Amino acid sequence: MCIVAAMAAKTVRKAPAKASKSVKSKAKPASKAKLPADVVKADPALFDPLTPGEIADALRTLTEDRRVASMTKVGRYRVICTEPLVVKPPHLMAGHRLARVVAYDYASNRAVDACIDLDAGVVADLQLDKSQPMLSRDEEALAVSIAMIDERVRSKLAMGDMPQATLHYWGRTKADISYERRSAAVTFGRSDGHASLIAIVDLIDQQVIQVVPAEQW
Amino acid sequence: MSNVIQEANWKFHWRLTESAGIMVYLADFKGRRVLWEGSLPYVTVDHQRELDVDDQVEPHGPWWIPLGTRTIAGPVRVQSFRGGVELSANFVAGPYQYQQLWRFHDDGRMCPWLTILGPGVHDQHTYHPHFRFDFDLDGASDDAFERYEEGRWQRVEREGWFPYSGEADDSGNVWRQIDFGSRASINIRPHSWDDAEVFAIRYHDGEWAPFSPRSAAGSQPFPAGYVGDETIDGEDVSLWYVAHVHFDQSFPYTAGPWIRVEGLS
Repeated sequence: MCIVAAMAAKTVRKAPAKASKSVKSKAKPASKAKLPADVVKADPALFDPLTPGEIADALRTLTEDRRVASMTKVGRYRVICTEPLVVKPPHLMAGHRLARVVAYDYASNRAVDACIDLDAGVVADLQLDKSQPMLSRDEEALAVSIAMIDERVRSKLAMGDMPQATLHYWGRTKADISYERRSAAVTFGRSDGHASLIAIVDLIDQQVIQVVPAEQW
Repeated sequence: MSNVIQEANWKFHWRLTESAGIMVYLADFKGRRVLWEGSLPYVTVDHQRELDVDDQVEPHGPWWIPLGTRTIAGPVRVQSFRGGVELSANFVAGPYQYQQLWRFHDDGRMCPWLTILGPGVHDQHTYHPHFRFDFDLDGASDDAFERYEEGRWQRVEREGWFPYSGEADDSGNVWRQIDFGSRASINIRPHSWDDAEVFAIRYHDGEWAPFSPRSAAGSQPFPAGYVGDETIDGEDVSLWYVAHVHFDQSFPYTAGPWIRVEGLS
């Protein structure tokens, strides 16, 4: 992930020099003074789930960034996930409250992976690439609704078959449309858990592209 | 319920993630830091039907659903057992049912496991649970990674993919991470039926589960996509333990390694 390289580049290997102390202060042993801040002093609160306000703050900050202006303006994006991100000392942002926002921009068919520094109110890192993050809950629900109204799916459902789960799917070879296009697999079956039918949904064109009996999957 | 547990010589924090199951973080054993963060980023499932034609390629790719807030069934449980404490949670997604476990023993053992309960879509499938560990044994840096090979422990210089070759030390350990300063070690013993492999990758901030095993089309999936040519000897290292569970019908099956901390007084 590019976000890694960008963040890694900001890592400092040495602790920043402190302002000179009063002459009265005792000099510390050299070996101690050279020790960088380490993970043992990490603040556990930085790992805490983001509050609704922090999530809103992160998304507001991201959508104001000019680099994703086209995504925001067109409005065909889905927020996949917003979770806390904690970086280790001696990274410059160690100790900051960070949010990682992952979204999928349907207007450009690209993933948006952003690190928001909530303390500073800035987008600390932003990567736009062709990776395929997991499905958002909205996309899962959309896939089900698309599959449910498809005639090929409806004609193959047995009595009692219901949508069971929506999985993030990708094709193994270029012959599969889902190799490059964002796709979901909706499993249908009975409430006891056994699957009977698989419908592959192309989320970009919002159509069912494969219908396969579960035993032939 | 507090998300800090202090019991059986361990102190650790946990939280339920959006996609990586129960994450354990800032774990200390006997007052010394062992783990920065450990989680179960993804469980992918392949389906391999028996095809009639030899050269025919299985047409369907893998799929996965995140284990986390949207698939959890019931609460995260914290239970003491004789000599330790464990966390457990069930996850259900249609035909897939899992139970994630984190077990901590007072002798330094730690067991991050996943029980696969089935039934799945059909019997011809392989489950690939991916566990990620960022061990910071007595601090983040000055670590080395070793694998047991040709009858002895061998230092690994560069990041890479290290499958279980069938060789193990007398305790069954196949991989270990060593801290130069304390000489303490994290020993990893795979389950013999896990068909396990470990990816050892130099740590970079932000390089944890990118909410998907799927990188760009045509590129390596994660964690293989992280492997480059960076040196890991003496650096901060993160490890991915990937199991490949081929059992067709014999569920439940519990995948995951035994991990033991040694040398921390």
